[in-house]
Amino acid sequence: MTAAILFLILLICIFLEVPVAISLGLSSIITILLFSGDSLASISLKLFEATSEHYTLLAIPFFILSSSFLSTGGVARRLIDFATSCVGHVRGGLAMASVLACMLFAAVSGSSPATVAAIGSIVIVGMVRNGYPMSFATGTVSTAGTLGILIPPSIVMLVYAAATEVSAARMFMAGFIPGLMMGLILMIAIYVVARYKDLPSLPFPGFKTLVQNSARAAGGLMLLVIVLGAIYGGVTSPTEAAAVAAVYGFLVSVWGYRDIGPLKGVAWKKDDESIAYAMVRNAFLLPWSIIRSVTHPEIANVVKDASKVSVMLLFVIANAMLFAHVLTTERIPHEITELIVHWGLPAWGFLIVVNILLLLAGNFMEPSAILLIMAPILFPIAMQLGIDPIHLGIIMVVNMELGMLTPPVGLNLFVAAGITRKPIGWVIRSCLPWLALMLCFLMLITYVPSISLFLPEYIDSLQN
Amino acid sequence: MLVKMFHRLEEVLIGGLLVAVTLLVFIEVVLRFGFNSGLHWAQEVTLLLNAWFVLLGASWALREKAHICVNALVRVFPHRIRKIVTSVAILACIGYVLLFLQGSWIYLSKMKMIGIELEDLPIPKWTVMTVLLIGFGMLGIRLLMMLWDVWRNDQVEQFHHTELPALDSDSIAQQLSDVAWSDKKAGEK
Repeated sequence: MTAAILFLILLICIFLEVPVAISLGLSSIITILLFSGDSLASISLKLFEATSEHYTLLAIPFFILSSSFLSTGGVARRLIDFATSCVGHVRGGLAMASVLACMLFAAVSGSSPATVAAIGSIVIVGMVRNGYPMSFATGTVSTAGTLGILIPPSIVMLVYAAATEVSAARMFMAGFIPGLMMGLILMIAIYVVARYKDLPSLPFPGFKTLVQNSARAAGGLMLLVIVLGAIYGGVTSPTEAAAVAAVYGFLVSVWGYRDIGPLKGVAWKKDDESIAYAMVRNAFLLPWSIIRSVTHPEIANVVKDASKVSVMLLFVIANAMLFAHVLTTERIPHEITELIVHWGLPAWGFLIVVNILLLLAGNFMEPSAILLIMAPILFPIAMQLGIDPIHLGIIMVVNMELGMLTPPVGLNLFVAAGITRKPIGWVIRSCLPWLALMLCFLMLITYVPSISLFLPEYIDSLQN
Repeated sequence: MLVKMFHRLEEVLIGGLLVAVTLLVFIEVVLRFGFNSGLHWAQEVTLLLNAWFVLLGASWALREKAHICVNALVRVFPHRIRKIVTSVAILACIGYVLLFLQGSWIYLSKMKMIGIELEDLPIPKWTVMTVLLIGFGMLGIRLLMMLWDVWRNDQVEQFHHTELPALDSDSIAQQLSDVAWSDKKAGEK
């Protein structure tokens, strides 16, 4: 009864276009007022605590900030150059390079739509120029772009960690192998298609170019080393690593790459100056650029975009915590679990239900919102059935990846349609074969837990 | 004019809070590793700044249409029904705000009476928690303005616009059609 009213109010609100955050909050308050003794005052306190007592949650705005600094075209272009000089000479190499570039960019930015926008807007044109069919190019990039939420550091994983109090560091570690695997599967599929369709390859650019391009991409890729190194070296918590990443992202994009901000167009070394002079000049430019950034409109825009996404996510999370509180006090997951055990549904059957439920939900909502609603319900049931919390997290994340490609609200589809200026139906058709591949991958991840659990368990065994 | 200035102030304040929180955590890390020291009040202040960031930001995000909404259903309604549906949605939000305002008021007045201080700083706890009243108050005002906008200006797209990352899509589409055109020309030859 309680559960029915809670979900009914929630669904009505959501489908009336009430923001998801407020729908979660409102349905929780009404349920509390109707069925439990909690006072309004204590509910307000809960909401305040949800925003002010979770230090791990702070990693979310920090990663969003660093990702919006690094989502500029310049970083994407350098990663693409690097990837192309690595694998461009293989048959179908340009498509493989885009997958590689998507993986690298995804790892740096932690966001899927940003990856498709940044990488896709450059490589789709490049591939079409080199004789690839446009639907093939669009399909590969939209699919590879979804890797953004699987390869660490990922914002969606942080949201899962926040919703279930699983360690964010372990979640990141668990996403590593599945992310690499998905990238490899995509590349193999591309190679097969390329052989079959006789797609072109580029000449090998030579080692000098390769080294040059890696050096240029290194500024962006160092972020990964810093973040993952700091977390797994046990030096800092994910939150602190994220704050360092945000500051690093600012410095790299403003002082290092100079695509945005006050130093735009200022050369590292002018033609007529000596190296020593250039070094001194650049050293002085560093504090100067930081001071100038305070009032610079481009920097202000980056911060504004990051604030928008952060506020939105954190406000949903705060309300979702209220929702989770209602679920636990009313013992709703507990009742559903009893029902499932009563039916005799085995763990694998439950996982199929989870997959279907999440794929359906993926049609209506964004990944983080789905996770925040579903995780508190599914998590206790999965625990009861003996499913590893980390494994469940990875399953949910891969489901969300698929959700970005399934119509009508697949975010990546819209971004791809925006880039190519093609109707959404055309984009959907070009992504369809890749979606089928992703479905197989989802099955693999769901039923072979060791793919996701190997690395975190290995790290644990190292530390003991 | 005044409204514009207020909007600008809101934007600067919220962006500033995000930057402040980030820098505070960053400085803590630097102090710990570089100088083997720390700020004992840093964590509490960080978390409180974050609360202010989120609660003040909620109404700002509503103005920027940044909140996640599902408009799959309401999109199919004809304009006249849509207006009513959107008003109902806004009224539901106002109900949410009123419940929280009342709850916060009761809680804050109790806190003021008891007079507990923060853990690490000698500031009464109720002062930092006033953000509950300010944030939800602003949210309420914003919602009333939205309701006004629906009926006065006939605007039903109050909550959502499909946000895409900023793209230079004109030039990309142009390049693509250029490629297609030159291919066609090559084919004719």
